[in-house]
Amino acid sequence: MTPSFVSRPSFAARHAGVLRRLPWLVLAVLALFPLLAPLFGVEYYVGFMRRVMIVAIAAASLNFILGYGGMAALGHAGFIGVGAYTVVALVEAGVASAWLAWGCALVGGGVFAALIGAVSLRTRGVYFIMITLAFAQMLYYLAVSLRTYGGDDGYGLYTPLTLGAGFDTAHPQLFYWVVLALAALVFAVFSRVAHARYGHALRGIRDNETRMVALGYPVYRLKLAGFVAAGAVAGLAGGLLASHNAFVSPGLMHWTQSALLLVMVMLGGAGRRWGAALGVALWLTLEEALKMYTDYWHWPLGLLLLLIVFHAQQGLAGLFGSRAQADVGGQGADVAGEVDGAAQERAGSAEA
Amino acid sequence: MDFIFVFEQVLNGLGYGLMLFLIAAGLTLVFGIMDTMNLAHGSLYMAGAYIAARVHESSGSFAGAVLLAVLLTVVVAVVLEALIIRHLYRRDHLVQVLATFGIILIADDAVKAIWGVAPLLASTPAALAGPIEVFPGLPYPAYRLLLIAAGLLVALGLYALVHGTRIGMLVRAGASNRQMAEFMGVRVGAVFAFVFALGAALAALAGAMMAPISAVQIGMGEAILIPALVVIVIGGIGSIRGAFVAALLVGLVDTAGRAFLPPALRAVLPPALAAELGPALAGIAMYVLMAAVLALKPAGLFPARA
Amino acid sequence: MSLFVADGLVKRFGGLLATDHVSLTVEAGEIHALIGPNGAGKSTLVNLISGLLPADAGRVLLDGTDLSTLAPHQRARAGLGRCFQITSVFRNDSVRDNLLLAVQAQAGSSFRCLRRRDSERELMARALELAAQLGLTAVLERPAGTLPHGVQKQLDVALALASRPRLLLLDEPMAGMGPEDSLQMLGLIERLRGDTAILLIEHDMDAVFQLADRISVLVYGRVLTSGDAAHVKAHPEVQAVYLGTEAA
Repeated sequence: MTPSFVSRPSFAARHAGVLRRLPWLVLAVLALFPLLAPLFGVEYYVGFMRRVMIVAIAAASLNFILGYGGMAALGHAGFIGVGAYTVVALVEAGVASAWLAWGCALVGGGVFAALIGAVSLRTRGVYFIMITLAFAQMLYYLAVSLRTYGGDDGYGLYTPLTLGAGFDTAHPQLFYWVVLALAALVFAVFSRVAHARYGHALRGIRDNETRMVALGYPVYRLKLAGFVAAGAVAGLAGGLLASHNAFVSPGLMHWTQSALLLVMVMLGGAGRRWGAALGVALWLTLEEALKMYTDYWHWPLGLLLLLIVFHAQQGLAGLFGSRAQADVGGQGADVAGEVDGAAQERAGSAEA
Repeated sequence: MDFIFVFEQVLNGLGYGLMLFLIAAGLTLVFGIMDTMNLAHGSLYMAGAYIAARVHESSGSFAGAVLLAVLLTVVVAVVLEALIIRHLYRRDHLVQVLATFGIILIADDAVKAIWGVAPLLASTPAALAGPIEVFPGLPYPAYRLLLIAAGLLVALGLYALVHGTRIGMLVRAGASNRQMAEFMGVRVGAVFAFVFALGAALAALAGAMMAPISAVQIGMGEAILIPALVVIVIGGIGSIRGAFVAALLVGLVDTAGRAFLPPALRAVLPPALAAELGPALAGIAMYVLMAAVLALKPAGLFPARA
Repeated sequence: MSLFVADGLVKRFGGLLATDHVSLTVEAGEIHALIGPNGAGKSTLVNLISGLLPADAGRVLLDGTDLSTLAPHQRARAGLGRCFQITSVFRNDSVRDNLLLAVQAQAGSSFRCLRRRDSERELMARALELAAQLGLTAVLERPAGTLPHGVQKQLDVALALASRPRLLLLDEPMAGMGPEDSLQMLGLIERLRGDTAILLIEHDMDAVFQLADRISVLVYGRVLTSGDAAHVKAHPEVQAVYLGTEAA
């Protein structure tokens, strides 16, 4: 964790040019994928990629508060569920427009995040982890009991939502491109915000909250704003996931889903621009690939987590070890460690 | 709603609460002393349940099955502690979440490989299959009475261990001030290993005892983990006494919520609404309890670190 | 009226009265030192003034405005800057980023989300000005955590000065410093004289007698006496409880 001042040229430094163009290259390949897939007989993977991108949106929102804000929320799947059930409720009420449904999912996620965040952000450390978990569990049981929306059995969305101009979400390529565009937008905005005043303030809070208070930052409001933004984006991801699966069930909000999201962000590298995308892509691809060969596909993933914990503490993005990817500041230091460090500094200054 | 029904529910809540205590005791010690968030604690509970169910089925001896389940789980726990957990003590909570979630994934697959996907049907020991007349008009399953008795006995034993022995003193010293304990030359590593094994034994005991009255299946560890975490947060992380009080509280609130809330709501609300709201409120009762306790006492009912 | 007034501050920890009706004032441009043996409640007092600890009773006024009901960050915005006894900087960030973050705190809203912070010229200019003022220009790109202790402390002071505070709270700025670093810090505080009023908590008696316009002695949470260096040195009780033990 000790940052070395004189560092050897990192992977990123040596390949700076390539790395700068890489996101655009990936975007182009992803955009062309639905057109190329049929030529190779892999149409099935268009749907798979769509799911990867939706989960990546949710993971990016968690990365924003966890990696940049140091808020270790273990209930993020709750907001995904809020978004998904918002779509269900609107469909049940006769809404047909995808944009309206997803827009409301975004707002719904934000509203719930505002309520939950306002309470949770008054706690710290393990208690914050636990209270966010508790709220997500409440949402889970609420969904289980909503018999109108299928209760435990879930709710099937049999009619596709309209995207305008005569298209709907059943259109395989168009829905894919919409998801791709939204994912690109989400990543672009979060990356932009990370470099703006707000992003710097958020990282400052992560690293040394007491100091930020003494400097005059409205720490609680800044954290709450980030929490609400993350909840809203997770809600949007939930709305998209509802359309993607054409099915919504309380299982979306089970605590293991929240843990999984956390795991994917940490796997990719918390606090790094592409961490969430890398983590989700790797995890879901491995899951998909392992399922083809064996029924026992959980344990290799578990082993991977242990390997990451003991051998690649900064996640996948950290393996490339670079400032470009660490996304301003941070020196590529273990984000989790920094969260801890801030807590210790708080404790230290309280004792002083 | 008559007195008998209420009494029966109280006994149910007591039994559930005591089993929660067995699970939470280990969790709160590991959390309080090693400052380690162990999500895989539920997997030890699952191991205890599976081993006991299978051994009981093949040998016919329930006592032997419980004993073997506890012993084997402790062996697993000792290996787990030496290989993985020991190296997590000084790491960040999020890293601990990552690693112990990995252990859950491996444990679930291991159980699937050994015992298959289908849930096991564990039988109650034949001698205790019937009801006992607790007092005239209240027959109560004998096995559930055993559950309560065993839970109380273990709680007493644990209290005696923690407050009456040298190792217990070391454990308490570690929970209230780890650095001080280290400074005083306590062999912290050995104490940690002992505490982890003890926690595993209690979790396995709970699993073995719960097997006949719950579904023995993959995922049971993840399901029981959350109420156990709620218990230790309410009780105050690191406090055995807190875990005991909170476990009984959660057990009673949860049971009472499921038994009394739906009929109570039906009495005051339109039936359709009551039917939807009842189970939801019952399910979230313990989380509301936790939120309320944290709002009043942010470090739980009995904070281990004053 | 004085620039800063603490009026009857009280803080209890359980049965312990850590701050017992403490009142003191700091005039504009003045350096007011607070001394007292360990456990006298000096750091508690700083935390009560800056708002990190809620006071059980008493008021804090800056320029006649009552700050008592304000949250700590609002007190900072109102003109209370502070440093920490345990150096508190952003260890993984460069000195430049540390200064930018401090400058940003009170230069408009921190909720701005789209414009690159590093392209904001006014922020950068103010950060560089601060660096020059505190002699940090040579280490601008160094991560703060890699700097020697004395330089980190200078950065800590720079962070507190970024907002041009009316009153600067310095909590043992020379704690843990060697003679050379102490001398440098002494010079720094001397240069700040007149620009900003300072409430200085310090163990180093030589430094205190050299710097302070007025000195208050805190013992068991109470102000024993207040006055200039000669007055304090001559005070019999001070000699008994403080200087006496120091000399022995």
